[in-house]
Amino acid sequence: MEYWILFGVFTGLMVIGTPIAFCLGIASFATIVYLGRPAIVVFQQLNSGVSAFSLLAIPFFIFAGDLMMRGGIAARIISFAGSLIGHVRGGLGQVNIAASTLFGGISGSAVAEAAAVGGIMIPQMKARGYGADYAVNVTSMAALIALLLPPSHNMIIYSLSGGGNISIADLFTAGIIPGLLLAAALSVTAYIVAVRRGYPTEPFPGFRKAGYFFLVSIPGLMLIVIIFGGVRSGIFTATESSCIAVLYALLVTLLVYRSLGWDEFIHSVLGAVRTTAMVLFIIGAAASFGWIMAYLKVATILTAGMAAISSDPLLVLLMINVVLLLLGTFMDMGPLIIITTPIFLPMVKTFGVDPVHFGVIMILNLGIGLNTPPLGPVQFVAAAVGKITVMEAMKSIWPFYGAGLVVLGLVTYIPALSLWLPALFRG
Amino acid sequence: MPISRVLGQLSNAVLYLAGIGLVVMTGIVAYQVFMRFVINASPAWTEAGSIMLMTWFIFLGAAVGVRENFHMGFDVLLYVLPPSAKPWLRAISDLCVFGFAFGMVFFGGELVIRYWSTRIPVLGLPTAFTYFPIVISGVLMCLFSLERLLMRAAGEPVDDVPTDPTITEA
Amino acid sequence: QTVLRSSDTHPDGYPTVEAVKAFGALLSTKTDGRYSVEVFHSAQLGEEKDTIEQTQFGVLDLNRISIGAFGTQVPEATVTQLPYIFRSADHFHSVLDGPIGEEILAAFDKVDVVALAFYDGGARSFYNSGKPINSPADLAGMKLRVMQSDIFVDMVAALGGNATPMPYGEVYSGIQTGVIDGAENNYPSYDTAGHAEVAKFYSLDEHLMVPEVLVISKVVWDGLTPEDQVLFREAAKESVAKQREFWAAKEVQSKAAVEALGATINEVDKKPFIDAMGPVYEKYVTDPALKDLVARIQATEG
Ligand code: NA
Ligand code: NA
Repeated sequence: MEYWILFGVFTGLMVIGTPIAFCLGIASFATIVYLGRPAIVVFQQLNSGVSAFSLLAIPFFIFAGDLMMRGGIAARIISFAGSLIGHVRGGLGQVNIAASTLFGGISGSAVAEAAAVGGIMIPQMKARGYGADYAVNVTSMAALIALLLPPSHNMIIYSLSGGGNISIADLFTAGIIPGLLLAAALSVTAYIVAVRRGYPTEPFPGFRKAGYFFLVSIPGLMLIVIIFGGVRSGIFTATESSCIAVLYALLVTLLVYRSLGWDEFIHSVLGAVRTTAMVLFIIGAAASFGWIMAYLKVATILTAGMAAISSDPLLVLLMINVVLLLLGTFMDMGPLIIITTPIFLPMVKTFGVDPVHFGVIMILNLGIGLNTPPLGPVQFVAAAVGKITVMEAMKSIWPFYGAGLVVLGLVTYIPALSLWLPALFRG
Repeated sequence: MPISRVLGQLSNAVLYLAGIGLVVMTGIVAYQVFMRFVINASPAWTEAGSIMLMTWFIFLGAAVGVRENFHMGFDVLLYVLPPSAKPWLRAISDLCVFGFAFGMVFFGGELVIRYWSTRIPVLGLPTAFTYFPIVISGVLMCLFSLERLLMRAAGEPVDDVPTDPTITEA
Repeated sequence: QTVLRSSDTHPDGYPTVEAVKAFGALLSTKTDGRYSVEVFHSAQLGEEKDTIEQTQFGVLDLNRISIGAFGTQVPEATVTQLPYIFRSADHFHSVLDGPIGEEILAAFDKVDVVALAFYDGGARSFYNSGKPINSPADLAGMKLRVMQSDIFVDMVAALGGNATPMPYGEVYSGIQTGVIDGAENNYPSYDTAGHAEVAKFYSLDEHLMVPEVLVISKVVWDGLTPEDQVLFREAAKESVAKQREFWAAKEVQSKAAVEALGATINEVDKKPFIDAMGPVYEKYVTDPALKDLVARIQATEG
């Protein structure tokens, strides 16, 4: 009965549109009251769920991403990418993906990336005769690269949801090859579609111009070097690097580019506070929900159920991937990581799957879910920028979904894609 | 309604306070890195201090979210029900928010009282300080959800306000 | 038939987890199956600070915690967290098995839990990536991660090291990249967290022997009959012997494991470390009752 109350109240409130944090909190409260145990634990967990130092990376990376978008760092990176590969067939699609890859190396937010890269690329692409649907789909899928390449606050959420002992540095490193693989798969897909649709090429701007674009984008691109170099050389930790990203973004936009005004700074701060409060309030409520799940041993029961269906790790991973893709259609990434990690991670561990590997699978899988209606925030942003409806975008997104799923399959069944690089760094 | 204007100002003041929290937190973590790497004398309080500050601005920000309506939800049922059902569903949601917020005040208050005399290690502040934001946030959420319920009942278009575009999750 | 829920921050198979399971089995036998215990290991129900509160609320029935997690809430127990308060494992056992142990257990009443027994937590020593530590001078300027505990921070400061705050989950990569030089812990944790892979020097300065304690919620305790309370205490006392066996076996196993990973272990002359602890004792042993307790512990044979 208590299981029905926990999941029933949660689902019931969710379908009527109650904010997800309150669905989680109220379902936990109702269950503990039914069990006749002290309900105070729900509010204790609401608080302790947000009391972890690693969570600081979320406000910081969100803040930094917003500063880089408003302060023109993203725009300069796009110009540089354009001068490099614009002359390929369907060149602006390739530019879009290259810019997303570079920006993905300094930002962990796919929504921020879709807004930053899409905001500049989509209007340009439409003006040069590219279909708006093509521009939107390339943007929304390429934005997912940011989730896999470091920094990635979603990987931090995963590490914490998995009990806090999964190395964040390893997770960051593990995402690099899958992220580049996704970029390559999208690049090939975008090229094929561009050729079939007869999209144009861009003239090469010449080495002088390309060199100039490179020079002005260096201060922004340096952030990749600073974050990665700083963490790897022991100046600061992965969590602290998020704070360094904020300081660096401020330094570049205030002193180097001189592109950030006082008003924009305040907007950035308040925007970061709103987003962080929303995300972390869900994380707090999910901690209450997770506590009740642990108390009721939900994960143990589910694992036993899944194991009864199959004990073949390949099949279990396939089942988990399908479940996550389905859940990802109507739920957002952060809450899904928080809710499903405590269930699935112990399960896959018993089948010998490395937690770091599973983290990469989960991030990529749920990332694809950011582009699937009814709830696809990245797709919504891209479609809004491209001034088309989600339905119009859906008509031609299938080849890009295909590319994403192929990469997901490769990442799922070839653990080395995720695990080789971290092992290399560990020496 | 004048009361609504007061609540709007309150909400804004709380949001700015939370923003100051984020900026100060940036300073604390930067100070931690500086003191450890450059001076080689790590302050012991920075980890606990920044976490404390974060819980404060999260709970304050979450309360603002109730008024600005930026908490994320999924209207699955609205796809199948007629539009006239929307205000009713929203009213139920607001009641739920009010109820949970009331729990935050009540049980958060109990936590504050229970842990008034124990200390947070290294920081030295009463443990109650970590639970205090729940109570304040709960009070604000009660006010803001009640405001929405009353405004809706009075026929104000509280459900049509677009979500703030600066929200960027994922 | 009542199933009591107990929490442990350590993974399944760890000596404390197994000891509480053994306690449950003994309890079940003594009460003809009326009471049994289920252990939620690996911090499934929260970190120690959280689960202590949960035991106080009465939502958790039992809890196995490190005394360090109580901070300075129980002054009598704080004494056991003082560096070098125990001279050896034998001294540690004879103090805690005797009247002083009973006195400290009883002191937990004021924080709404009933303490049933002390378990072993081993001796904690420093480990780092650079060099063997032989004297406090070797700690000068070394960045060492310690738990968020005032005594630990003050102890490292008194030895001339740089006590550095860091979440436990980041310690491995922190040592690997050089953000910190090392940390401190007992053999089993040094082994299971994999820290021996990156911090090869384990120096047996044995600065702390912090007892683990098995507590039961006051809410649950007050609901037991006096006869059952006696059975609970008996079962807890009997589980102590088992826990010490588990612990000794685990230490031997962990020592072998870290040596296989290439860890260099060195013995340390503790005298200069003990001599450096003056300021720590001055700060935490202030009132006469505590001074008396410290003196009695130091006077205990063993
Ligand atoms: Na990224
Ligand atoms: Na979706």
